[in-house]
Amino acid sequence: MASFELIEPQSVEEALVALDSDDPAVRPMGGGTALMLMMKAQLFAPTRLVSLRGIGGGFSGFSLSGDGETFCIGAMTTFSELEQSVEIARHLPVITQTMKTLANVRVRNVATVGGNLAHGDPHLDLPPVWTTLGARVRIIGQSGERVIPVEELFVGYYETSLEPGELIAQVLVPVRPDWRSFYAKVTTRAEHDWPALGLAVSVLPEGERIADVSIVLSAAVDRPTRLVNAENVLRGSVLCDEVLTRAGEAAVAETDIETDNRGSSAYKKQLLRVHLGRAIRKVMGA
Amino acid sequence: MTATTPAPSIGRSLPRLEARDKVTGRVEYVHHLRLPGMLYGKIFRSNVPHARIKSIDTAAAAALPGVYQVVTIEDIRKVIPHPYYGPAFHDQPILADGKVRFAGEPVAVVLAFDRKIAEDAVALITAEYEELPGIFDEIEAMTSDVLVHDELKPASTFPDLQHLKGRKGTNIALDYQLRRGDTEAGFAKADHVFEHTFCSQQVMHIPMEPFVSVADYQDGHLTLHTASQGPSFVRIEIARLLGLPENRVRVKVPFLGGGFGGKLYIKLEALVTALSMVAQRPVKISLTMEEQFYMVTRHPCHFTIKSGLTKEGKLIARHCEVIWNGGAYADIGPRVTQKAGFTSAGPYDIENVSINSYAVYTNRPPCGALRGFGAPQTAWAYESHTDMIAEAMGIDKVEFRRMNMLREGRPQASGTPLRDAEIERSLDHILDRMNWSLPFDRGSGTIKRGRGIAIGFKGITAPTTSVAIVNLFADGSCALYIGTVDMGQGSDTVMAQIAGEVLNLDAASIKVIHPDTDVTPYDMGTLGSRSTFHMGNAVKLAAQDAMGKIADLARELGLPEGANLPLADMLRKKYGMQAGNIIGTGSFIPDYEKPDTTTGLTKKGTPFWGVGAAGAEVEIDIETGAIKVTKLVNVADVGTAINPKAVQQQLSGAAIMQLGFTMTENMVFRDGQLTNGSLADYKIPTLLDIPREFINEHVPNAYDKDGPFGAKGAGESTTIALSPAIGNAVADALGVRIHDLPITPESIFRALQAAKGTPLEDCA
Repeated sequence: MASFELIEPQSVEEALVALDSDDPAVRPMGGGTALMLMMKAQLFAPTRLVSLRGIGGGFSGFSLSGDGETFCIGAMTTFSELEQSVEIARHLPVITQTMKTLANVRVRNVATVGGNLAHGDPHLDLPPVWTTLGARVRIIGQSGERVIPVEELFVGYYETSLEPGELIAQVLVPVRPDWRSFYAKVTTRAEHDWPALGLAVSVLPEGERIADVSIVLSAAVDRPTRLVNAENVLRGSVLCDEVLTRAGEAAVAETDIETDNRGSSAYKKQLLRVHLGRAIRKVMGA
Repeated sequence: MTATTPAPSIGRSLPRLEARDKVTGRVEYVHHLRLPGMLYGKIFRSNVPHARIKSIDTAAAAALPGVYQVVTIEDIRKVIPHPYYGPAFHDQPILADGKVRFAGEPVAVVLAFDRKIAEDAVALITAEYEELPGIFDEIEAMTSDVLVHDELKPASTFPDLQHLKGRKGTNIALDYQLRRGDTEAGFAKADHVFEHTFCSQQVMHIPMEPFVSVADYQDGHLTLHTASQGPSFVRIEIARLLGLPENRVRVKVPFLGGGFGGKLYIKLEALVTALSMVAQRPVKISLTMEEQFYMVTRHPCHFTIKSGLTKEGKLIARHCEVIWNGGAYADIGPRVTQKAGFTSAGPYDIENVSINSYAVYTNRPPCGALRGFGAPQTAWAYESHTDMIAEAMGIDKVEFRRMNMLREGRPQASGTPLRDAEIERSLDHILDRMNWSLPFDRGSGTIKRGRGIAIGFKGITAPTTSVAIVNLFADGSCALYIGTVDMGQGSDTVMAQIAGEVLNLDAASIKVIHPDTDVTPYDMGTLGSRSTFHMGNAVKLAAQDAMGKIADLARELGLPEGANLPLADMLRKKYGMQAGNIIGTGSFIPDYEKPDTTTGLTKKGTPFWGVGAAGAEVEIDIETGAIKVTKLVNVADVGTAINPKAVQQQLSGAAIMQLGFTMTENMVFRDGQLTNGSLADYKIPTLLDIPREFINEHVPNAYDKDGPFGAKGAGESTTIALSPAIGNAVADALGVRIHDLPITPESIFRALQAAKGTPLEDCA
């Protein structure tokens, strides 16, 4: 590994200047957990890393908005901070639940919410969860800022819609007390593994009826993907085996699941059918 | 000698002598070693599995500032004219020589003062290849026109391989056979005949300390500092390569961070030696975790087993056809083929047995010794087969085993009688810990539960020698000079306990001198569960020799019988001051009779029998195939447990390792390319994968008459029966049989769907 420049700007403005380069080997760094692996595997050789650790502002910390409707989470918030937060456990319990099987303590202590999203790796656990929660991201660049839904961030395998020089500043999560969410991390090799299938679901229950629903599949596909047809089958339906079976078939039909070392395409489709049904039952309290 | 009598050493769970140094980070490993002027080597590897090398362009790498030299086989040939090595066959070039035979084979090395620069320079090397068709499957390789080697080149050190010398036009490196009775007649007489095939996958050792070696060659002398399990072998083989007498090659081995059979024979040692000779400087190579997948692995095995039975369920004939995928270089594969072939009919009393066991070359990374030395792969077949027969015949699985079990004094397939081998007591112990006679919860809803048992055994590499020296200093304190490598198994502690018992010294006060071939005497290697038995006997003999010399000294000094004068006082009396030594030596080689070359029969084919039994309970989700091993019991016959705590750690460690080989570990290849060569994608078990109930015990009050204080090896026994115990539990839960390892959720789900007549479509 050749030497490189590591800088730690103290403001967003400084960071944006430091990142203003045509050199693709100039990159921002959050916790660095993914970058370090890519550098070790010689997949990426930086010329300059811009650590966002010191920039402060809206990038760090998290809090409920004044109107109580949105959780604003700074991009440099670490997973451990979320994991240990009583507020998060109360308003976004699915985040607390997801942390239990996400990587390990050492990674959670440094990995950041923004870096995790910007990495664009389809096997990560949080992106489908943010998506199913209806979260948006606030993005800051030289030309100003924009806010987009998390699902619009992902455009392909390790590909995001971030422009060069743009940074994710915050994740904005709506607080929806009537909704219930769950994340199923399905591993097929050792217990602790990258998921063969990540499945995040949110429902708005009305008794036995599913008033509204959001389903996001990850890991088995090239980016976190909303399963719109499966949602349509479920939306407005009363929970029963027949509906869940149809939703499972719709989910399988609308996705392009490929074979890899975690499972064949046919097997992962079976996992999708089964775990979709189980996840919906779980959030419906059935 | 101390005046007070220390507690007896044998049977005491003495804490590891090195424990404090290890947990405080003070232990010496090769990894830490830096010599003045030392260069770091980084390997450039082939990215194709089988090809002629047309050219290697090293110019850009050599031009990188900080690079000392880029070395290929042409440079090595100038210092070592015949640069081929190997324990069984001299088939492996120090660097690829005109051809590459597996993807990942070393082709060139960059030497630099800085490791990072060496790494950067490797990325600048390019090679042009003329690709050749590759052969990866062991069955195809048996008859393929694609040849991995043009000619077989057995090493002269193995007389029983000499008939293979110069053989051409084949990938079969060794064809071992055993013939006992008349198998065909047995099948003809049988009321029932069953035949099944089972496969084991390619897996790897993954020691936490990757391979690392340092060579320092100057003026016809070589010093190697290496993480090796076999320093004596390294010295002999490197001396042969260099044409030097053994006393010009010094091999030093500190503690190892795990070995598991991988760090045997020659690994990086020939390469760093050649590099040090070329560069005239010390050279170090440390592999990364990922590079370890291209050094040595465990044999995939394809085993077809056929049995004939009387209508009462007595086994009367068995044929074993065992094919071992040895990869591109033989390493110790031919020995695995023989030794595991030898016991491949299982611990059963069968009149007519025939065994064919083949070592086959393919274009995969080489395969060698790994904890169990082939026995786990064979037991996977014979113990799955045992349950299938019992099921088909409607006989209770335990009773069926008892009915056919090999018992004390009865000849095993080779004709070697079973002796001091607690097969039935191991089974009884398992049944007890499994609560086998109690009702069993079979699960409900989508969860099905099952349980299974298995038994297995192995022979031990023979004949092999261990030599030990006991040195009592002028003050009566003691040092033990042995070539056994403590790689985490606790051999330092156990050997000190054996010496302490004889010398009447506190074992914890004895200093164990680590292997340094200039200082420590010969040992065949720390392998195959042999150290406690072989080196333990040598240490015991050395200590007894020292005691004899002390008695001689007492007579010489005219001391009355039973005077019990401390040794320090006796030496002072003899020399007039604190001076002198008592040196005791011991050399051990077990009784052995070479097997008949055509029948494989022998009256004494193994120094002792390794015996293991296992029991497993599983819980399976039938909608997904997801499986949890909820209980696992492993029992081994270790003879006398010299250090019960160390034994227990060996049994549980071996079991966890085999659990990985059963459930999660699998080197996956596509067109000869490894697709999961990192720990992110090659999954070793973590704590979360350890069963909730995990019991590891040795058979109490077992005793091997030839072992030191009744002891035998403990490092491998619990690897043998574990896989089939789990496979049998799966079959018990679901009524479907998994034939190929690893047992994964997908393989279970596929088997379930196939049994229902709605098979899942094939992998894309």
